Amino acid sequence: MSDQSRINNAITLIARLSIDKSSRTLSKFVRAGARIELERAYVVDVSDATKVIAHGESEVVGALVSLTGDAPFKFLFFVGLKDSFLLADLILRRPLGTTTGFDLYASSAVQEIGNVLATSISNVFATDFQIVMKSTPPMVLHDYAETLFEEYILEAAAEKNELFIIETKFFVVEHNINCHMFIVPLHGSEEVLSSIANRM
Amino acid sequence: MSGMDTSNEILVGVAELKTGKGPQVIKTNLGSCVAVCLYAPAQQAGGMLHFMMAKAPTDVDAKAVKKAKYADTGVDELISQLKGLFGVADGDIQAKIFGGAKVLKEVTHNIGYNNEVAARAILRDRNIPIVSSKTGGERGYKIEFNLGTGKVRCQIFGEEIKEY
Repeated sequence: MSDQSRINNAITLIARLSIDKSSRTLSKFVRAGARIELERAYVVDVSDATKVIAHGESEVVGALVSLTGDAPFKFLFFVGLKDSFLLADLILRRPLGTTTGFDLYASSAVQEIGNVLATSISNVFATDFQIVMKSTPPMVLHDYAETLFEEYILEAAAEKNELFIIETKFFVVEHNINCHMFIVPLHGSEEVLSSIANRM
Repeated sequence: MSGMDTSNEILVGVAELKTGKGPQVIKTNLGSCVAVCLYAPAQQAGGMLHFMMAKAPTDVDAKAVKKAKYADTGVDELISQLKGLFGVADGDIQAKIFGGAKVLKEVTHNIGYNNEVAARAILRDRNIPIVSSKTGGERGYKIEFNLGTGKVRCQIFGEEIKEY
């Protein structure tokens, strides 16, 4: 197995552990069963990366978070515009349908989910691998899905022509809300990921 | 990165360029990246470059550089492909440019603006006139470049579609 494959396996393991933690935290947060699944982990040419995002949800709300430290990562959480309204109502314990437009509540809901996910991933690094990571405050964006994704991969793509991407899907089961999360390791994370891979 | 696609709708990703002939339509989405659309009206041929950054690094092997990622190497590659594939001459080409938004407001470095400035400078240097453009702002762009007419339909997020 090549060094890169071992590193990719380490990232996938971290993602799986993070997903377990995130699912539990998110379920409590929205007071509904939230299930997060690892959809796929893949290496893709930067030019094909934005094409994978074309899934029909053109207008989305997303939270972009950077994790800084010894293994820098970036993740993007996003949800279709109308589903962001439902998330806002669930989080605020309001009757579903109360939020009808993209406002401060919808924006804050997505930002809070970004925070929950960032904390879960940071906890996995800290508790399972003794690596301290800090997260930046989530940047909330309301735009085309492709534009969000382009801005998200820009930093990683500046260094490499191929990206390793982990794609997950969330379901807030009772309410049929589908969300997406992507994780991309940044330049400088290889050494730590390699040491994690060696322990596996 | 490159080449002529024979399908009617051609999708261009980040750091990619594509060429074609009318009635083909080339599409892309942009944030801080810039799309350079080059068109030769007489041949109804053209191409789109969707680049990420202004200048290619000089400290790496040129063969390892993904030309369409950068304005300087990408514009030259697009011109070269239009000449090679369609027999377009230097004086035949006109340009339209789009994108270069500052989508991430919290980020101090304005990549989008730098990209726009780079595109304009390179086209000026290559004596290619920019016949229209829509750049800047804080929102994403969806653009469709019709190679039959040379027109570009551009929609900035939350706004009406406009033709350039």
